Amino acid sequence: MGQILQLRNISKTFPGVKALRGISLDLNEGEVHCLCGENGAGKSTLIKILSGAYQPDEGGEIIFEGRQVTLTPHLAISLGIQTIYQEHIVFNSLSIIENIFAGSEILRGWVLNKREMRRQTEEVLTYLKSDLDPARKMEELSSGEQKLVEIAKGLVFKRRVIILDEPTASFSSSEIENLLSIIQTVKQSGIGFIYISHHLDEVFKIGDRVTVLRDGQKVNAQAIEGLTKSRLIKDMVGRDPSTFYQREKVEIGEPIFEARGVSGKGVRNASLVLRRGEILGLSGMTGSGRSELMNVLFGSSRLDGGEILIHGKPVRNTSPKAGIRNRMCFITEDRQNTGLFLPQTIARNVTTANLVQEKGFVRLPGEDLRVGDEYVKRLNIRTPDARTRVLDLSGGNQQKVVLGKWFHTNGEIFIFDEPTHGIDVGSKQEIYQIMVDLLRQGKAIIMVSSDMPEVISMSDRVLVMRDGAIAAELSGDQITEENILTHSIGDSTI
Amino acid sequence: MSHSKAEARSRSSLFSRHENLTPLSIFVGFILIIVCLQLGSQGIGKYPTFISPVNLLNIMMQVAVPGIVAVGMTLVMLSGGIDLSVGMLASLVSILVSSGISTWGLGVPVSIALGVGAAIVLETTMGFIISRTKVEPFIITLGGMITFQGIALLVSHSREVTMNGELDFLKTNLIKGAKDPVTGLNLTIPPYVLAFFAIILVVGLILAYTKYGRRIYAVGTNPNAAYLAGINVRNMTLSVYAIMGLLVGIGSVLLLARINTGIITLGQNLEIDTIAMVVIGGTALRGGKGSMLGTLIGIFFLGSIGNAMNMLRLPSEVQFVAKGLIVIIAVSAADVSTQVSAFMARRREHALARKAQ
Repeated sequence: MGQILQLRNISKTFPGVKALRGISLDLNEGEVHCLCGENGAGKSTLIKILSGAYQPDEGGEIIFEGRQVTLTPHLAISLGIQTIYQEHIVFNSLSIIENIFAGSEILRGWVLNKREMRRQTEEVLTYLKSDLDPARKMEELSSGEQKLVEIAKGLVFKRRVIILDEPTASFSSSEIENLLSIIQTVKQSGIGFIYISHHLDEVFKIGDRVTVLRDGQKVNAQAIEGLTKSRLIKDMVGRDPSTFYQREKVEIGEPIFEARGVSGKGVRNASLVLRRGEILGLSGMTGSGRSELMNVLFGSSRLDGGEILIHGKPVRNTSPKAGIRNRMCFITEDRQNTGLFLPQTIARNVTTANLVQEKGFVRLPGEDLRVGDEYVKRLNIRTPDARTRVLDLSGGNQQKVVLGKWFHTNGEIFIFDEPTHGIDVGSKQEIYQIMVDLLRQGKAIIMVSSDMPEVISMSDRVLVMRDGAIAAELSGDQITEENILTHSIGDSTI
Repeated sequence: MSHSKAEARSRSSLFSRHENLTPLSIFVGFILIIVCLQLGSQGIGKYPTFISPVNLLNIMMQVAVPGIVAVGMTLVMLSGGIDLSVGMLASLVSILVSSGISTWGLGVPVSIALGVGAAIVLETTMGFIISRTKVEPFIITLGGMITFQGIALLVSHSREVTMNGELDFLKTNLIKGAKDPVTGLNLTIPPYVLAFFAIILVVGLILAYTKYGRRIYAVGTNPNAAYLAGINVRNMTLSVYAIMGLLVGIGSVLLLARINTGIITLGQNLEIDTIAMVVIGGTALRGGKGSMLGTLIGIFFLGSIGNAMNMLRLPSEVQFVAKGLIVIIAVSAADVSTQVSAFMARRREHALARKAQ
């Protein structure tokens, strides 16, 4: 079996972050090479380099069939490297045939050769043992069938490499089986697969080799045969805990927030208790329902079942307005789209969430500025005054503006969704300190985070979510990377 | 590093800090050009009639009604919406009120209430649909525009409805006998001009100094963040269209008072003119950016173009060309000035960085 693709010494640096360090990886004909690692380990960056979307740093080499190449999205496709991303990028209102041939239509003279395109599509679908009608619209297909169409596309154009990024994320179990058997069929034809998944079951079923990434570094690459799941998990975790941020502990008081059997969009029967002075970490894989649960608790997503109690009294958070009045604060993950009014000044941003609670109709800009300046000083936002537009601030300072907005509502139950996402190391420490200060004022925090060291160093207790439900509660010594990851992945067989 | 960056940006140009400065300076430039042209053609000794008191009052009378609608349009556009239906809605209201007075014999107060009420109900209905669905306001109000035109034609049997000056009290001259020292002509200030100034002042103050105004900006800038900050985005959107209805209602009655005839062409191009006024004033089509002061500049700017063309004895066809070009220039100038100031800021930053090395 020949080698199709080889990566040598690939690094990728983003401002302030080293996403990949010296990764080497190779792929043979007819092989399924799995990539494993936690959220943020560098898997996505690596496939973006393979698809030509990112360029590696100086010194990295990509060798395709013996030739060194500099990949661009266009070149990657013409060489035969096809990336199938987690989110479907399809033309919903077009048919299967039209999707497969979009941009590379077969022509007869100046007109489309529809018959030939249909013939080729049917041939490939038959090969894949699928009875889909090629004329059906993409929007009518299930997500499993859409993935199948994308693989069919790879076959039609005789691709050499197909990269699948978390392909089974929204699949039913029969769809997963189906996809895995298709991959096993297709690899016979010599196509190499790079398969990214956090479902270790799948990795063990179809993988030939597995490469584990951690913090942008390659930990291990080995044949699946003879490997155990617990060994793989150990490879994925295994940081030195003494390098984590050391946070000051605060005395934990009485429960102030409680969810009992809460269900909603993407959330099933979740219960939790939050006590004064405590950080409750919420861990789990991307898509496990953490943000969805937070939205239900805050009131920005509908509560379908169960109840929420604050200070032991049932409350109904029917809207964010109600949530704010019940003294809740929600620092969302995507601060630019859901947390900030970017073109507006700091003063206006920090005073907005409290408008609900303010009496009176008149709002003087001078008053906004005074409040804004107060938070600029208190949160050490690096700017001359609150007249600065949020647009002009760095990520860490923008996050502080979001915090200021919620501090001004005088809430006591804080939800932090990925509090330090995309923030430089210095500002991270500051935000951790601000969180501890909140605890000292008798507030309580639920912290959703994919950053493993952050979860472990900041949390008093950790809840692990899986498939929209709470899979485990860990406290004290149980809070280890290995435990968290094991419960996130949720293989009972380990 | 981040410190000096923020500082460099906040020291950026005067034009980017005071967003109304760009349209204002273009407007002033425009006035100067017209005045110079007049001086050139009449000789230096004569006072340019363009800026004579009687002509300035004329301009005010011409812009009062579109100005009132532009105030509503500013709110709608700041909240991230648009309203194409205002022209035909104004025609419909004028036909309703004039029919009420001349055909149905309802009396003046009832007819006015009917017209204004209809405008509020129709706009609120559109606002309801816009705020409760994901359909673009462009489409909904386009549908509204066509519908209102149809209703107006049905009510008026496709004819004009003339009145006998029942609404003349709205255009009586409040300064009877005053003479223009320049031209010697009579000066007129009718009540509807005062109504315009009162409305723009009140709404402008609401926008700048109240919770309601703050929420409009928040919704227009980022509806998702506004929702999570506890703002009822749907009802904010709804309320903006309801206010638009009230203002179109008032504006149409005043327009009817000026013309004395309810007719389908009465509100023609009103939506185009008001949107142009608002964007000349610096309000962004995507919402969240702009101010009532900017709109005030836009109203007088657009309103004085036609007048100036008349003064220069240019044919009315040219006016359209001039109006169109000025919209394009005013709006792109704002963007060019931000690009220039961003460029200057970058250059300063580089200079600072080089000095630091």
